[in-house]
Amino acid sequence: MNGEHLIELKHLQKSFGPQKVLRDVNLEIRRGETMVIIGTSGGGKSVILKHCIGLLQPDGGEVVVDGKVISSNKYIDVTTIRKRMGMLFQGAALFDSMNVGENIKFAVREHEKQHSEADLDRIVAETLHMINLNPDFRFKMPSELSGGMKKRLGLARAIALKPEILLYDEPTTGLDPITSDVINDLIIDMQAKLGATNIVVTHDMVSAYKIADRIAMLLDGRIIFVGTPEETRATSNPYVQQFILGQRKLGAEAE
Amino acid sequence: MESIPSPSPTPPPVQPIWALILDSLGGQFLRLAAILWDSLSTKIAKVGEVVLLFFRILKRAPWFFVNPSLTLEQFIRIGVSSLPLVMVISFFIGAVSAVQAAYQFRGFVPSNYLGTAVCKLVVIESGPVLTALVLAGRVGSAIAAQIGTMKEKEELDAMTVLDLDPLRYLALPRLISGLLAFPLLVIISDCLSIIGGWIITTLVLKVTTATYVFGLRFLFQPYDVVISMVKAMVFGGIVVLMGYYHGLSAGPGAKGVGQASMKSVVSSCMLILIVDFLIVYIAY
Repeated sequence: MNGEHLIELKHLQKSFGPQKVLRDVNLEIRRGETMVIIGTSGGGKSVILKHCIGLLQPDGGEVVVDGKVISSNKYIDVTTIRKRMGMLFQGAALFDSMNVGENIKFAVREHEKQHSEADLDRIVAETLHMINLNPDFRFKMPSELSGGMKKRLGLARAIALKPEILLYDEPTTGLDPITSDVINDLIIDMQAKLGATNIVVTHDMVSAYKIADRIAMLLDGRIIFVGTPEETRATSNPYVQQFILGQRKLGAEAE
Repeated sequence: MESIPSPSPTPPPVQPIWALILDSLGGQFLRLAAILWDSLSTKIAKVGEVVLLFFRILKRAPWFFVNPSLTLEQFIRIGVSSLPLVMVISFFIGAVSAVQAAYQFRGFVPSNYLGTAVCKLVVIESGPVLTALVLAGRVGSAIAAQIGTMKEKEELDAMTVLDLDPLRYLALPRLISGLLAFPLLVIISDCLSIIGGWIITTLVLKVTTATYVFGLRFLFQPYDVVISMVKAMVFGGIVVLMGYYHGLSAGPGAKGVGQASMKSVVSSCMLILIVDFLIVYIAY
């Protein structure tokens, strides 16, 4: 294994019923980088993320995280690796029956038993501060929050355990451009503060260019392009150009 | 250019009418058998999944001692909150039993045995079975809807990602609460039914309290209560497991959650009555 690569996806295949979502995905994510995976809606980007954190098992191929194959169904390996990861879900997936403070505290209380309630309150306040929110937010219920606020709190819950790897599933989808930019800044900020390796799945090119160290494009169940934002802009790959320019037809056909 | 006429096809051999009928019937029968087999094998697979789920939850039983507050919270939700409903229906079950018994007994059986009829009916059957059927609607559907919604909103995935095992934090507290709360609710239901029977017997049917109590004590067997408690515990397990299982298997959207809720109630009710028969058959 290459020490530089924290996550490796090797010949990943996944089908849901007759639909082949991932045909042969090969991708390496370097330690400390922000890798943005772009692709059409329903193309399997979120499926890749769920494989990285062991929520889905591949039909073929393997997922290697820090040298350990987590797709081999070994429960212990998956849970050990999972403790080093955090994930922001597309709909934030906050626990509706708990207030914001409890949402953040829940996992910390269960995994770090040494903390008193006062410590936990302090952790909640610090975490809210990291995402630029007032500590008074901890008493609000998820149903009282806007979409953007829910995403920020989903991120707060994900970072409370100080993960080494952060996975973002469509972090800016459904948000206005200004709130999207706030989320983009938070992602960049989190990388700076935690030094985490980020994998971001999105189809928002403004966001991708702003946060990415490298961009990978998924098409038809395969990664067809990997490059820096500059390389992405300059590529002659017609499929990448079609996607980043938002054209309904491929280059020549569009003209 | 003129096309060459194709040679006329050989006419198929004429089959007798009885052979055609048999052929058609055979085909229909085979199709029906295939549909039945598919349905049966799917049901068997689902039973297997539920049994597997039960053992996976049971494996996490020691965690009960680590987070007893989660179980207490569910016990209040499943047990204490269901109390008013159980009390009302139980009171009227007792009252109806007394009125029906008096009507059926008239001219044949002395009113001494009114209490006996109410007590036997309530303790052996109506207490555990009707309470479980009502709670399948109240508790089972609520569990299915909650778990189904949590699945739909990716909350279950979020728990897994945070290494908070949903079976330990969601399923185990509900299962233990169901196993403990149902017997207690059945005891309360039995008492309320007997009180309902007593009030109707003394106020409407003009039978003295002493006669009613005599009837209650006559033929009373503690063994009946033990079997009733066993039934209640098993029914509690069925209702919670069906609710959790159907919540986990919920389809997408509001329709999926609604169907999961409905399926949990239907399957719980069917299983309660089937298992009730099995327990009675074995115990008596």
